[in-house]
Amino acid sequence: MLRFLGFRLLRAAVTIVLVVSFAFLVLRLSGDPAQIIMGADAPPEAVAAFRQAWGLEEPLYVQYLRYFGAILRGDLGRSMRDGREAITLVAERIPATLALTVPALLIKLCIGIPAGITAALHRNSLIDRAVMVLAVAGFTVPSFVLGLLLVLVFAVQLGWLPSGGQDSWRHAILPIVTMGVGGAAVLARFTRSAMLEVLGQPYIRTASAKGVPWRAVVWGHALPNAAIPTVTIIGFMVGSLIAGAVVVESVFSWPGVGRLLVVAVANRDLAVVQCILLLVAATMVTANLVVDLLYGALDPRLRNAVRGA
Amino acid sequence: MRDLPLLAAEGLVRRYWMRRGVFGRPAAVRAVDGVSLTLERGRTLGLVGESGCGKSTTGRLVLGLEAPDAGRVAFEGQPMPPPGTPAWRALRARMQMVFQDPLGALDRRMTVGAQVAEPLEIHGLPDRAERVATLLREVGLRPDQGRQYPHELSGGQRQRAVLARALATDPALLVCDEPISALDVSIQAQVMNLLVELQARLGTAILFVSHDLRAVRQVSHRVAVMYLGRIVEEGEPDAVLQDPAHPYAQALVSAIPHPGRRQRRILLAGDPPNPADRPAGCAFHPRCAAAVPMCAQADPVLKPRAGDGRLVACHVAQGDVRPRKAA
Amino acid sequence: MSEAALPVTLAPPAAPRGLPALVVFAGVWLLLMLGIALLADVVSPYGYTALDLRNRLSPPIGFGGVAPHPLGTDELGRDVLSRLVYSIRMSLLIAFGATIIGAVIGTTLGFLAAHCRGVVDQVVLALVDFSASLPFLILALSVLAFFGNSLTLFVCLLGLHAWERYARIARGLAVSAGAQGYAAAVRQLGASPWRVYGRHVLPNIASTLIVSMTLAFPEIILLESGLSFLGLGVQPPETSLGSMVGYGREYLTRAPWILLSPAAVIVLTTFSVSVLGDWLRDRLDPTLR
Ligand SMILES: Nc1ncnc2c1ncn2[C@@H]1O[C@H](COP(=O)(O)OP(=O)(O)OP(=O)(O)O)[C@@H](O)[C@H]1O
Ligand SMILES: [Mg+2]
Repeated sequence: MLRFLGFRLLRAAVTIVLVVSFAFLVLRLSGDPAQIIMGADAPPEAVAAFRQAWGLEEPLYVQYLRYFGAILRGDLGRSMRDGREAITLVAERIPATLALTVPALLIKLCIGIPAGITAALHRNSLIDRAVMVLAVAGFTVPSFVLGLLLVLVFAVQLGWLPSGGQDSWRHAILPIVTMGVGGAAVLARFTRSAMLEVLGQPYIRTASAKGVPWRAVVWGHALPNAAIPTVTIIGFMVGSLIAGAVVVESVFSWPGVGRLLVVAVANRDLAVVQCILLLVAATMVTANLVVDLLYGALDPRLRNAVRGA
Repeated sequence: MRDLPLLAAEGLVRRYWMRRGVFGRPAAVRAVDGVSLTLERGRTLGLVGESGCGKSTTGRLVLGLEAPDAGRVAFEGQPMPPPGTPAWRALRARMQMVFQDPLGALDRRMTVGAQVAEPLEIHGLPDRAERVATLLREVGLRPDQGRQYPHELSGGQRQRAVLARALATDPALLVCDEPISALDVSIQAQVMNLLVELQARLGTAILFVSHDLRAVRQVSHRVAVMYLGRIVEEGEPDAVLQDPAHPYAQALVSAIPHPGRRQRRILLAGDPPNPADRPAGCAFHPRCAAAVPMCAQADPVLKPRAGDGRLVACHVAQGDVRPRKAA
Repeated sequence: MSEAALPVTLAPPAAPRGLPALVVFAGVWLLLMLGIALLADVVSPYGYTALDLRNRLSPPIGFGGVAPHPLGTDELGRDVLSRLVYSIRMSLLIAFGATIIGAVIGTTLGFLAAHCRGVVDQVVLALVDFSASLPFLILALSVLAFFGNSLTLFVCLLGLHAWERYARIARGLAVSAGAQGYAAAVRQLGASPWRVYGRHVLPNIASTLIVSMTLAFPEIILLESGLSFLGLGVQPPETSLGSMVGYGREYLTRAPWILLSPAAVIVLTTFSVSVLGDWLRDRLDPTLR
């Protein structure tokens, strides 16, 4: 078990190192941050001073090593805009993002999974068709379109809810619904196909042929086995919470991490972008790690499987 | 050059690293553990043994499809170039393989004719259309069947197509890895006869891997019996299969149903062998009815037996010790 | 979850006769879109930057609009229908380009990993892990904002989306074809890797790859429109479906038609490709989920 854990942790660490390197390379190779921050017509002395102050004069690999060392010490650098710690800037925004993404995740789970299971159990029925069409629709409507449509109906036409901002819980309703619906559709699709796959297995047919009550077959055999692939997609959803928030937060001018990223990217604020990239990657890697471990718990066979083909 | 054997393999060893589970330590599976063999031009060597004893691996090693961990292969006196190099690729025209599963060995999306022509294209040989027609006729297919796809042929016809492809460059060596075991019994005989006939005509040397002892006896000039990655007995087919010396070979032979002769079948006791966990001494001793204490300690070597010069690796058969009880 | 459902769920699904209506609709819609994209110069009534200052923010016909602008105009009096036509061309162009780039890169790397094994294999697998661990939107966002956005870069960047899926598929199938089967057989005939992969493995796995492409295509349309919506994709004066929505967002209250027609096209197109892809997948490749 320790070996397994060690192997997974190593892979996670490699991934994080790759993400850090990627962020550094892309952001540093794309242009001179000093010029961008100071503006093209800034006096050369000021630019030079800025470069000196931020260590931009040194060779790239020194900057890279320095950056890596700093990250290992937990120092993620300061925003080049206002000089505050990037990590503080990002941390300040996390609660706002969580306030949207966690309820949205709950919506996804509470709608998507039951809908998928029901559709699978009533395969080819009207319910199944409806769930599938809705699921495909939910997955093909981009979140910015859905968000704007909701604004159009509930804020502009009906005037029930505010269209943007973050002053009360009522402001959060539309963004949460926007995020939740699409994910619920994906999850329903996934749960359904996982469930159908399991229901087609010989052991399910054997169990029901032996006269085990259908309810017991579903709860005792089908659901636990269908949970395995479903856990993957849930893990992916948890891992991509922040990414999902980028567009929706922009639509609703919600001051979360996603909007901070868009603004930081527009300002070429190196430290903040790197910090968010790292946060996103760390969330994803952690979610994958948990999924891998859950897999082991759900399916003992996989513990003995060797990775790769 | 003439007196050199076509193929000479010496002390071939091939290990695979296997890990039992994600948690397990990698363990070496010695799939082939010191195999030496020689093959003369135009002759057939039969290789028999139970599943997993390393027959296919031996076949791949002598063809140079994999590099051995130890030992060498010489083809026409020249050492085998490393797999994938241009020299290795050019050598493919001289040695070919016939696979167990003809459907798997053929590309589903190409006509049989195009696939038979492929070695000609690869090795830049001329007169393709004509040669393909000749080849198809030689293996007993109609030239117009070259326009068909593999799934449109019967199992026997597919194996004939594979054979035609293998013979396209007129190779000196053919390794046939269980070429008939995926075929119906009635077709097996046809394919066997075809092999014998083609060999007589073309003078191809064949390494014939099988666990069908009767088939081996029908085509081979010599037979080698493998157990757990080693050759334990080698000799003339009639001699080895009529009067096997090694207890394992005796068990194999006794398993052939014989209508005329009523002979007690020797049942192999104990577990089937695990190449990752080779028993000390003679690898066969845990399952051997004739085993004596020495068999668990000393590793027998393959050497000529005193009486008739049969090559056998067994303390008991060599007469070094007295058997525990008559087999 | 009633127990009465048991016999129904266990019965094999009845094979549908002919084409499902939804598939027909999807096919027709996609053909229409393709036709529009190819014939954009012919079918669009005006240029996509042509101004009509007398008819600014004119609503579509049926909502009080005037005849020359069937889908209305925007703030500058540009014809929404014409802009829509050119946006469709742009978005489809980007999506096709990016899908093909992704498939080529992914398949090549997958074959490379399968062929070389060892270190190369591990590097490719690490890259696959890396791609899977960073949501593509975030990655694209940073690259685009920092490298600026030429159309070429944008297409190439979107091409990186889903490359790892092709890489996984190509690697897995090539490894199994090479372990035992036709690829091993051709290799031992003396074929060069080019011939093994180009003439044998690729045609054999093409159907699986094509199915993956139909799955990636709508995702790329969505990504393109999302990035353009954020102002980081297609830049004015060029226009795409997403940037039209992003632009129309400012006039959500006064002129919702600017945004609604491109939004509808995005939804219908991705929906159609998904439906068609699902259908294709069921026909071509029962093993792929
Ligand atoms: N590529 C490989 N990786 C790991 N182990 C392998 C590989 N190829 C063969 N082995 C192992 O080597 C041993 C010998 O295999 P081989 O295929 O040579 O046996 P065989 O005698 O041909 O058996 P069969 O009669 O079933 O074809 C087996 O234990 C097998 O598990
Ligand atoms: Mg074999």
